[in-house]
Amino acid sequence: MSLASAVVAPRLEFRNLTVDFGATRALNAITASIQPGEIVGLLGHNGAGKTTLFNVVAGANPATSGTFLLGYEEISQKITPREIASKGVTVLYQDPALTGNLSVLDNLYLAQLAPFSRPDRAQAAAALERVGSDLDLDQLVDTLSLGERQLVALARGLLGKDMKVLLLDEPTAALGLKETEALHSLIRKFAKEGVAVVYVSHRLPDILQVCQRIIILSAGEIVADGPVTDYDARKLARALAPGLLEVERSELVLGQALLSVKHAGTPLSFREGEVVGLFGMAGGEQFAILERLFGLKGKYSTVLSGLLLEVSNPLSAMKQGIHLVPADREKDGLISGMSAAENTFLPWYRTIAGRGWWVSRDTGNADYDSARERLNILGPTRASTIDQFSGGNRQKHLIARWMFVKRPKILLLAQPTQGVDVGAKADIVRAVRAMAAQGTIVIVASAESDEIASICDRSYILFHDHVRERTAAKGFDEQLLADLLDLAQPQPHSQPDLLQKN
Amino acid sequence: MSNKNSLALFAARNGIFMALIVLVAFFSLLNKNFLTFGNAENIILQSAELGIVAIPLAFLLISGSVDLSIGAVASAAAVTSGLVMAATQNTLLGIGAGLALGLVAGAINGFLVSYVKLNPIVVTLGFLSIWAGYAQLVTSGRTVQRSSLPEDFRSLGTASIGPVPLQIVLLAIVVVLGWYVLNRTRFGKETLAIGGNEKAAYLMGVSVQLRRFQIFIASGVAASITGMLLTAKVQSASPVIGTGMELAALTVVLLGGIAFEGGIGRISGVVAGLLFFKVLNNGLVFLQASAFLQTILVGATLVIAVALDSTIQEVVKKARRQILQRVTPKSDITTTAR
Repeated sequence: MSLASAVVAPRLEFRNLTVDFGATRALNAITASIQPGEIVGLLGHNGAGKTTLFNVVAGANPATSGTFLLGYEEISQKITPREIASKGVTVLYQDPALTGNLSVLDNLYLAQLAPFSRPDRAQAAAALERVGSDLDLDQLVDTLSLGERQLVALARGLLGKDMKVLLLDEPTAALGLKETEALHSLIRKFAKEGVAVVYVSHRLPDILQVCQRIIILSAGEIVADGPVTDYDARKLARALAPGLLEVERSELVLGQALLSVKHAGTPLSFREGEVVGLFGMAGGEQFAILERLFGLKGKYSTVLSGLLLEVSNPLSAMKQGIHLVPADREKDGLISGMSAAENTFLPWYRTIAGRGWWVSRDTGNADYDSARERLNILGPTRASTIDQFSGGNRQKHLIARWMFVKRPKILLLAQPTQGVDVGAKADIVRAVRAMAAQGTIVIVASAESDEIASICDRSYILFHDHVRERTAAKGFDEQLLADLLDLAQPQPHSQPDLLQKN
Repeated sequence: MSNKNSLALFAARNGIFMALIVLVAFFSLLNKNFLTFGNAENIILQSAELGIVAIPLAFLLISGSVDLSIGAVASAAAVTSGLVMAATQNTLLGIGAGLALGLVAGAINGFLVSYVKLNPIVVTLGFLSIWAGYAQLVTSGRTVQRSSLPEDFRSLGTASIGPVPLQIVLLAIVVVLGWYVLNRTRFGKETLAIGGNEKAAYLMGVSVQLRRFQIFIASGVAASITGMLLTAKVQSASPVIGTGMELAALTVVLLGGIAFEGGIGRISGVVAGLLFFKVLNNGLVFLQASAFLQTILVGATLVIAVALDSTIQEVVKKARRQILQRVTPKSDITTTAR
């Protein structure tokens, strides 16, 4: 149990581990060791090498040179994911790879090494119990929540063997607060039992809360390694993206254009030149307001600078200069399989490219290059499929589509920096604020207070029919959350509400 | 590892071209009369009608839909134009009637699938039966004979522009038009987008319903042209002239690497698939295989094409995923449909 006494070998050790992809060096001579019971936070930009490091340990990707050890055992280059799993290495992804139309029990036994291992109900139940779950073994995985599915994936790592190493790749990205806390206490429990844990997350507070030690990767190398007490959130952000701090808020220059929207009888106003937030609960009214403005809820009319503004569908909204960056970039935004350039220009081929009659490989070349520069997009060329870019750079393409090809009069952004790394976030914030400063009405809807705080000059806080307004000031982030909690309190004179039952 | 992926990707995307070459080599070795200019021209001539319906069908599949009624629409258009010409001896009126039927058939399919949002397989399967029945009904099951068709219509069957037969000219026009529309116009890009991610396409202002409706009309009109071309070729309008064409066209399109789940496809692949299919047919004739065996082989090729399609999509997806996991992917791998 004791940590790192001299005679105990580290649980996981990297010795000069290097991985090349063609001419690109993804990992460069990584040397580090992790003791049993240690929880290590692994941080770095998209593309810093975190996923590659995980893939090497998981047996999905061989090292080019160097090696890693599990305990005293040096792991051969040719090991398969199943063999490594049988040695006690478990990887937990944001969305665990389970088969939805099979039962929990079947899923637990799917990846077993012996091809005909018969499911042992008692063993399965015991594994589930160890992860603190009382799921029915015969329940279909399709009917489980994301958090529950992660528990099944964790239980799979405990089946008939000891868990030695646990790798967590963004496990909480799509989890609610309660599920996140449950997962964290489980991680701590495993660590107490001697499991070495490596935790990757974009949520810095999570890392600070759970980890004892933090390793920062940058461009395939370890640039910082130390106990968590050396860092706080601000220091971490700085280590991850040197040069990024608070948004610079220069004096606001408000323009003439003024958009008025009514929410449950309360007028909300948005001015050219400022970035205004709509903050509320996850899946709350703030997103519905954006959808109405973009014509997704049928005919909708409002007032822009005293004139009637009418939209009936996305096309009619676009024709009036209203652009929407949707919250879910993969589901609602990008077209997988089409090129980066096509993904950027698709809505605009009717105005460029000979009005849509001649789309050549060079269509929009100059626009693409300048958008790429302004948003600092990294990755392969414009002709590569969008799938070949990393998450943050895919998000930047989505933003480029709605910001730079045709200038919007009103720019609607739903969680524009969700799930992107700190560096990409800074690029996006900068571009959005620059656009507002040049005279565009910008509205940002989000359920994350820090996102609103980092982009907006002012924000409305929405909870059902209740509205509050805040201007950016010191502690904006905390103030937004406090306001929302305040609004969410049962009101003495409001009609009976589900909330009052609590 | 990366090289293996690129290779798999290349093979998956270009397999049909290699298969075509292998097949041609195979038949050439078995029969020295196979690889001749005359036979090559013959194969292309025989491909024309099928190619003309396969291209719009490719667009339908790319947009995530399908039309199984094309064979029946071809028959219905053939007998409609045949009957009109038999009654009036007016060729233009007859062709106009055939085209109009194709337009109406395509519009009905398009309306029901796109605007009423019914399942395309079920709707077009229903209309396969409806139009086949219509063709039998209006002709009482009898063929409109050669003698009742006007002279200048019959001459279309052997007409040529310069040295090139009319069918091949039409096929070339359809192929070039298909390539241009898919790769060089907003229409084509939007079709790919609809098949790739319908919701995202809608959120980009793409008129999803209108696009799909338009493609169905193209499919109906192409089917009617094919029906009339076949009529001119065999010099009589049979009510079963297009029977089975939908299966052949679907085979060709799937062989050509158009994904059944939409979003992916190239016109060059469809052309290769078309040639592969017709070379196979023609080669079997050279080997004196039974016509019944050929019917079985059409079915078998369709099943193999579907199997290949899902394998190809798997390979492409897997390769893409692994390429994605790399830090800086190679820029020369383009998996875009082009």
